[in-house]
Amino acid sequence: MQLTLSEDQTQVLDSIDSLARPYAAVPLHDASFVLESAELDASLVENGFLDVLAVDELGPVTAALVVEKLARLPFAVEAAVSALVRPLIDLELPRPICLVEESRPGAPVRFLRPGATVVVVGSSGVSSFTAVQDKIAPASHDTPYAYPVAFLAGLPDTPTRHEVDPAEVLRAWRVAVATEAAGLLGAALASTVSHVSERRQFGRPLATFQALRHRLAEDQVVTNSVYWLALRAAASGTAADAALALLHAQEATKRVCYDYHQFLGGMGMTLEHPLHLWTYRLKLLSAELGGRADQGLAAAEALWGK
Amino acid sequence: MQFEWTAEQDEFRRKIRDFLHANLPQDWEAFSEHGPASPALTAFAREFCVKLAEAGILFPHWPVEMGGEGLGPWEQQILAEEMWIAGEPRGGQYMNVNWIGPTLQKYGTEDQKRRYLEPITRGQSLWCQGFSEPDAGSDLASLRTRARLVDGNYVIDGQKIWTSYAGLADTCFLLTRTSDDRKKGITIILVPMDTPGITVRQIPSLIGEGDIHEVFFDEVTVPESARFGEEGQAWEIVAYSLRNERLGIPRFTLARAALDRAVQMLGEQGRFSREYVRIEAARCAALCEAAATTNYAVVQRRADGRTIGAESSSARYATVMAERVVCEFVVEFLPEVLAGASPYLKMHHQRGIVAGIAAGSAEIQLNIIASEVLELPREPR
Repeated sequence: MQLTLSEDQTQVLDSIDSLARPYAAVPLHDASFVLESAELDASLVENGFLDVLAVDELGPVTAALVVEKLARLPFAVEAAVSALVRPLIDLELPRPICLVEESRPGAPVRFLRPGATVVVVGSSGVSSFTAVQDKIAPASHDTPYAYPVAFLAGLPDTPTRHEVDPAEVLRAWRVAVATEAAGLLGAALASTVSHVSERRQFGRPLATFQALRHRLAEDQVVTNSVYWLALRAAASGTAADAALALLHAQEATKRVCYDYHQFLGGMGMTLEHPLHLWTYRLKLLSAELGGRADQGLAAAEALWGK
Repeated sequence: MQFEWTAEQDEFRRKIRDFLHANLPQDWEAFSEHGPASPALTAFAREFCVKLAEAGILFPHWPVEMGGEGLGPWEQQILAEEMWIAGEPRGGQYMNVNWIGPTLQKYGTEDQKRRYLEPITRGQSLWCQGFSEPDAGSDLASLRTRARLVDGNYVIDGQKIWTSYAGLADTCFLLTRTSDDRKKGITIILVPMDTPGITVRQIPSLIGEGDIHEVFFDEVTVPESARFGEEGQAWEIVAYSLRNERLGIPRFTLARAALDRAVQMLGEQGRFSREYVRIEAARCAALCEAAATTNYAVVQRRADGRTIGAESSSARYATVMAERVVCEFVVEFLPEVLAGASPYLKMHHQRGIVAGIAAGSAEIQLNIIASEVLELPREPR
């Protein structure tokens, strides 16, 4: 057991901090529901941050640390699947990569756009294709999810099949989502803490009221443990750890998102504050892979059998 | 970052398991239903801890200069996990090796170390913590048990309550008030429990026989040399001790083991196929593992030689959440276990339901997290 960051990991995270600094602030009022940056994406690719899993001395935990760190940014980046799932399928798959469950083709698909690689995972195996315009149905323009999302309007007849165990892809998918959620939860908590520490009502900061303090403290406990479970799942590579990590992340999401908007009063509902960028991403992730119910069943099967 | 135990740590765990297998009686599970402070378990622990000492696993994590093997925080964690999963056969002596011994070593006089450390290392002493009072529970600093220095002796008057192990303890780690300053007026005195003027009354409880007491001090007189640390130093010493204590009981391991046992029972009865039950069980497992990993993050701090601060409150609260859901799961789906169907699960329940109270209430942990981890501005006083 060694839970301290290695020198390599510290260096990678410091480099991401430097690279992402221009993207840490959010333009208020003029921010759209979705915030993306092609420049940020390009520099992550150029510097190899999405490829660390395959580097011997870095590996899956470092990849998870990268994903967690990037998820804290107000800008949405397709990092989790590229960094944690793509290496299992084909390192050369063009990004962004969109994962779709074979049994839920009608779900909103994150980062779906022409040129994206769509990977379909299910009992029949793992296959992929390149998304084209006429097979993409747009989401409503005001969807609050804070990711670019769209719908698949159809599947090709002859996708590329990949010789990889779909269970293993599902496992990595769970780790990817749990890890991204860990970062989002951390950023949403930090953002809320900052607001309630500054915002004064009844002559004192909101954060001095115990009604908020205890709920935020509980949120810290679950947020912290989502982080550790996600990293452990990345490290162990077991189906049980992956399902537990995502279950816990989705439980945490359900617990905190409502609270945070409540603590911000109306501001998190308006675009005066960036909170929605994290909470609504979390809400979409809380539905991923069937949500808590499916994660619970998957974890139960992995731990105790059918 | 490495989440696996090393080969040496696995070997150490195996050694403890082998020891437990060889030294716990056949009917141990039924026997462990006696509370950890019960006469039966206390008597058992006095023999068991001697064997642990002989096998070198009573306090192997203590530094070599204290007679330990200097094995470190991870081994302490492994030792505590295996003991707690087994139902804590050390009884109240777990406190000795977790925090009383190290605290004596750090703050005790040479005379106190000589007097108290040796019986701990032989597995022959039992301590109680004289902390809570009728009007000073979570608000510990409002305690009123008074110690007056009279002609080279402390004369103690007052009352403690909800004191575990007091019925059979040899010595009390007693918090007293020596001046009116709220925190700086509190002083620790090490009081032999057979000192005249001490009356112990058991408080019947749901959590096992002989566990909880009220303790009355009526002109209890001990020499000034019984003072532990300086006058007014108690708050600092207790903060140090409680940080160890919060980490000391790896309750999540027993909660997880109890959950596995409950699932096994449900499976045997053909009742573990309903999806709702399976999902609830998985939620429990997630919270147990969440508690494990956050506790391990704190152990890592200790292993790195860093100060343990409010992170231990966060880890402790995660443990309370895990204990709560497992206790609730078991009662909801296996109500028969509290009526005799599983001594092991009943034992877990008795220990699990106090998780949010012992070693500082869960709400106090939330206060600490709010102020020291989240660094929220303080509440007005």
